[in-house]
Amino acid sequence: MRRKWWRAVPIWLATAVLVAGAAGCGDDDDGAGGGGEQAGGQEKVKTALVLPCATSDPWCKQGFDGAKALERRGEIDLEVTTSAPQDTAGVTRVLAQYAQGGNQLLLAHSTWQDAAFDVAEQFPDVNIATYAFELRDNVAILEEPIYQAAYLAGMLAGGITESNTIGGSAGQDVPLCHAELEAFEAGAKRVNKQVKMIDTYIGDWNDAAKGKQATQAQIDQGADVVIACGGGPATGMAQAIKEANISGFGYVGDMSSQAPKNLVGSVMYNLEPYFEAAVKDVRNDSFRPAKRYEFGLADGGVDLKLNDRYAVKEIPADVMRQMEQVKDQIASGEFKVPYEAGT
Amino acid sequence: MDWSEIFGPDALVVLLSTSVAFAMPTALAAVGETVAERAGVLNLGLEGMLLAGALVSFLVAYYVGSVALGTVAGVAIGVVLGALMAFLSVSLRTEQIINGIAIVLVAQGITLFVFEKLFGGEEQPTIAGISDVEVPLLHDIPGVGPVVFEQNVLFYLSLALALGVSLLLTRTRFGLSVRAVGESPAAAEATAVSVARTRWLALLVCGGMAGLGGAVLVLGQLNVFEEDVSGGRGWVAIALVIFGRWNPLLVLGGAFLFGFTDALQIRVQAVSGGIASSVPTEIFGALPYVVTLAVMVAATVLAGRDAQPAALGVPFRKGVNA
Repeated sequence: MRRKWWRAVPIWLATAVLVAGAAGCGDDDDGAGGGGEQAGGQEKVKTALVLPCATSDPWCKQGFDGAKALERRGEIDLEVTTSAPQDTAGVTRVLAQYAQGGNQLLLAHSTWQDAAFDVAEQFPDVNIATYAFELRDNVAILEEPIYQAAYLAGMLAGGITESNTIGGSAGQDVPLCHAELEAFEAGAKRVNKQVKMIDTYIGDWNDAAKGKQATQAQIDQGADVVIACGGGPATGMAQAIKEANISGFGYVGDMSSQAPKNLVGSVMYNLEPYFEAAVKDVRNDSFRPAKRYEFGLADGGVDLKLNDRYAVKEIPADVMRQMEQVKDQIASGEFKVPYEAGT
Repeated sequence: MDWSEIFGPDALVVLLSTSVAFAMPTALAAVGETVAERAGVLNLGLEGMLLAGALVSFLVAYYVGSVALGTVAGVAIGVVLGALMAFLSVSLRTEQIINGIAIVLVAQGITLFVFEKLFGGEEQPTIAGISDVEVPLLHDIPGVGPVVFEQNVLFYLSLALALGVSLLLTRTRFGLSVRAVGESPAAAEATAVSVARTRWLALLVCGGMAGLGGAVLVLGQLNVFEEDVSGGRGWVAIALVIFGRWNPLLVLGGAFLFGFTDALQIRVQAVSGGIASSVPTEIFGALPYVVTLAVMVAATVLAGRDAQPAALGVPFRKGVNA
């Protein structure tokens, strides 16, 4: 009896799963040439960037753009993995493969401390930078002081709000978000003593629908200027403020296209100085003992990018002036934004 | 904390109207899943069908500029994945659990791949939303009116379809066939009801409902697509079918109850002052699951009998299954 062709379908389907899986977390190596090329008399550092999400996500886009900029300047040979597995075992495998492939520097753009420590132990020659709580000899920490920019955003919020109620929503109560929301509130209170802030933790980093709901709940409680922390919360927040026609601030990247009239600006996180410093340390053999890389407002690591299409309210000129003064004071070290990371 | 800010008449209307709107994608998928399971097929691919419906409806709405065509495309891709599930599970009689999980993995991989290829590294694309429509006369009904009859067109369509599918299952000849092949496929086959054909149709309905759920999520609420935008709604829907004891109307009610407690916990956080509140936020986050679980246990104890279709998950072979 002739075998029916469709008997083979499960096999094809299994193949499709593998291909799709490989594509989803596939290597995006656009052939920047072999390692060890000379660029302006410098050896290129073989670097791998591992991202927890797709480059359409603001968090991952910032990491991707930072590394790409270094590649364009001829500093590094870059390999990229997007949408890496989120679990420790999965991401350890990805990092270990790059370590085995002879990469000198692994940029692990998420809170991957356990995986980084594992790989650092297995491959003592490799250098890793990630978001962690502890340093190891060859594992450096990337700090993300976006709370500094959130403080400036808060000052504007304090000037814009008419209801004296502002809101902030985040994926979970982690130090990054806690510090961002606290700084936003502190900034607002600096210019407007009566401000009351509503915080919501939605329990999910990707669920934009839930993020939108959280912001809507704050709007119903009277909030008229809001901020968010996390991809899903921020995307949902942008949609909610557009519908209710109130003001808000974008998160991590320039989100102004999401709600062009409603976003006063975006809190920006720029990875280029971070990656640049790590690459320089690898090249000069000064990576170890590993250090904390922190680039705040003064060093171009974070910024508040205003959106010139914003059209909900007039930003009071004196508040804008005060904000710019404080920005200069932070940059010069004269003023330090209080860092409240929670417990 | 002032409870009237949550349960006062005005606040309650806002709370209910947003929670039914946000629960709709889950509700659609759950009612579709009820049809498939009543026919005896456990469709674990629901999350993938939602996600594929979300992406395809978004892309069509973005490039063609029509929300209506986007919705149709979302349903269509759901039906296609339903057909794939039916082909594997009914025609080839392979393991349903594996098929369902494979469909979720394929959908997660492919949607991300396509979205990255089209928009990776660029500004996130958005589409124009659709506005709410007040149904004349009906929206004047106190209480119910503002909650149910001041929503967008997609909401009315979804509600009508969910209720229609419930009627289809309980009040029509086709529904009787579906229930028969789910309880006793051999007996159904003996009375000239084709088990394969009925299960195929049930899975197409299920896929279409889940695809519509994805379209409602993206076109009716978010106006953007994101990686894993379905956020586990397909898995919640599968749990809701068990919670609703395979009764489509109870499943629909369960979906709205889950949506309500979820909206409620967010609202309670906002009213009580979030991190300033003395209650940890994790307690709020657990609330929808605790309430749903409690109701499920209560329902099972009260009903006192097993409602699960007898042939659920069992492939049918003529002359083999007794």
